[in-house]
Amino acid sequence: MSNSIWIHYSRPRPHWYLLSDAEKAVLEDSWNGVRDKAKAAGGSTQGRFHIRGQHDFQEVEIWTFPQTTDAFAHWSNLVAARYNEFYAFSNNIGLGLEA
Amino acid sequence: MTSLTGDTDVFSSAAGTGGNPRASVMFTACRQDDMAGIYTEAHRQAILRVLAELAEEGWTLALRRVFDPAADNMPMGIDTGFTHEHDIAGVFEAPSLDAALVGTVRLERAGWARAFRTEWLMGVKEFAPVTGEGAITDHGWVFLALWEWNDQWCEAAPAVRTEYDFECDIAFKGDLAHKVNIAGRHRMDWSHRWHHLGAWEIGHPDVADSAIRGHEDVADFKFTTSRHIVGRLTPLADLIAPRHL
Repeated sequence: MSNSIWIHYSRPRPHWYLLSDAEKAVLEDSWNGVRDKAKAAGGSTQGRFHIRGQHDFQEVEIWTFPQTTDAFAHWSNLVAARYNEFYAFSNNIGLGLEA
Repeated sequence: MTSLTGDTDVFSSAAGTGGNPRASVMFTACRQDDMAGIYTEAHRQAILRVLAELAEEGWTLALRRVFDPAADNMPMGIDTGFTHEHDIAGVFEAPSLDAALVGTVRLERAGWARAFRTEWLMGVKEFAPVTGEGAITDHGWVFLALWEWNDQWCEAAPAVRTEYDFECDIAFKGDLAHKVNIAGRHRMDWSHRWHHLGAWEIGHPDVADSAIRGHEDVADFKFTTSRHIVGRLTPLADLIAPRHL
């Protein structure tokens, strides 16, 4: 049961482009591990979508989480893995409306 | 631990309840009750009833109470129309993130959505309040600062960021010398593009300008983009009065 939606917009920061492919791969593996952990904890997403053609950001991810605090924990884990240092972002949280 | 950066001379981690930090709710709102009938006294009374419920549920609705737990919890906002595109703003504290989100929905549904177009920001409290020099008594004005770390901060080495934090501490000590009370630091990045909120009690709008000059002197803004809001502290019951009877 999910009570919240979390929308994440992202765009690489300029210094991301200075990293080697190997350095990028290490970081991306780490962030994918955080995403897997969120799914194991009840989070769900349909993946990453490219929106750069009509937006300030490059990608959007839409997640559902059992609780808003699960979204907070997922973001905290990404930050702990230095995601925010290499990607500019804008996040939104939403609660499901009762029928 | 939810803090993005470490403690400094001025700031220390906020103590939560049972390991859970207090949640923060900030808003900026523009009037939209342009015609009679959109928003009425009955809606205002309904909003005030929700605010009374929130107070019962442990919300802090008056910034003064952050510094003095014995202070009155009458809902307060700030009048910002004189210098901002939004008419009012404010900061509350809620017992949890879920309570914060649900509380904003309850307010919107009670009639707030009829009166205002509102930007709500929610987060958790990272750093504890700090009281300015001799600034124990109430202030008439509030200064709100939203900021995000820019690409240059993100690229900087950890040691450079820590050095920067302590440079900024010089400016924060200057703020305290201006008798500014700082209601801690609130982390907003999980649900907004702004990373942090700082809410201050100040004695006069000029204090905000003097204080920010101090922050410019230590190059605070080399690593941040920020938005600053100044407003006169006013009872929320007055700020949400209908325009049309």
